[in-house]
Amino acid sequence: MDIFTIIFWIIAIILTAVSLIKDKKKTFAAMKKSKAMMGNMIGEIIAIIFLIGLVLTFIPPGPIETVLGSANTFVSTVVSAFVGSITLIPAFVAFPLVGSLVDVGASIVPAVAFLTTLTMVGAVTFPLEKKEFGTRFALTRNALSFGFAIVIALTMGVIL
Amino acid sequence: MNVKSIIKKNKLLFLVVITYITIFIIAPDKAARSVENSVYYLIEMLQVLPVIFLFTVVIEAIVPKEMIIRGFGEKSGFRGNLLALLLGSISAGPIYAAFPVSKTLLGKGASISNIVIILSTWAVIKVPMLANEVKFLGMDFMGVRWVLTVTAIFLMAYITGLIIKKKDLPANKTEVMSLEINEEYCIGCGICIKLCPDYYEMDDNKVVVKKMPEGEKAMSAIQESIDKCPSNAIILNRKGKVS
Repeated sequence: MDIFTIIFWIIAIILTAVSLIKDKKKTFAAMKKSKAMMGNMIGEIIAIIFLIGLVLTFIPPGPIETVLGSANTFVSTVVSAFVGSITLIPAFVAFPLVGSLVDVGASIVPAVAFLTTLTMVGAVTFPLEKKEFGTRFALTRNALSFGFAIVIALTMGVIL
Repeated sequence: MNVKSIIKKNKLLFLVVITYITIFIIAPDKAARSVENSVYYLIEMLQVLPVIFLFTVVIEAIVPKEMIIRGFGEKSGFRGNLLALLLGSISAGPIYAAFPVSKTLLGKGASISNIVIILSTWAVIKVPMLANEVKFLGMDFMGVRWVLTVTAIFLMAYITGLIIKKKDLPANKTEVMSLEINEEYCIGCGICIKLCPDYYEMDDNKVVVKKMPEGEKAMSAIQESIDKCPSNAIILNRKGKVS
């Protein structure tokens, strides 16, 4: 467990204790409600996790590297943004991967597009987002994120 | 609960299980590797979800609604946006961990724009991740990307707030919902039965509710039947609806 998660555990436990002292009945009622809400999501969260495992096996970092480093910047930017949307590789793998590519002289535009959609657009988590917030919300948020990821990438290409 | 409804409720999980079984048959090594890859995320989930659970409980139980509305509501303005940015940035865990927290805040009166900010920053901006980015790509790269990303998130929040209204969001299914027909007003025209044969039926020249609707799709059909009813006899109580 990293230090951040530990701090959150401590804060959460303290706050829950405060809540219990303040109003026991309300806290238990809230627990029941949260349990129902998270119970509704848990099946999908587990599905997402095993889906990530599949994606990592079938779209490993190797091919991603080829896409990011390809010669045509425009095509590789759009493709990279797509790849970033569907994959969910951990950030501590993504940064070194992108860093090594930029070091050998690859364009940063596709790299940024990839890094941004990787975290902001979630094709894998889309079903859960749709279920919890509705199709319109999930579609709008993910589509906007995709578009802005490309804008951010292009702008960074101009600035840096 | 019968098997069919369990599958229907966990469609995605069911699909993933089927996929795994298929891969196990044709390429067992790949399936094993996929399971191995998933373990890291499974551990992450077990570390994070209990904390998220406790946070939603605390928000629900002791944080007053007025405070959420003041902090994150429609009128919270730019300060509310900054607060949402801060909350998303200091968070722990993957984006799905943001869903329960956001839903609880939404139920307590947070605005759509601020929910977009929380969800997006939760996914993108994390202090340990920023440090990692500096290490591999440099301070300039991280700094510029951070500024651009935050700007983009604010713009997205603003646009989404314009497009999506709270009525577009699914109602909280755990809340009570009741559909009634005022039989004094009902003229027995049957328009509602034509629109939603699953939920209404005719009984002695008056329409009665056959079963309670559930889910987003059913609700929009029910809404249509309410709008089309010539004598306004259909009453829908959506207690606890996010509004």
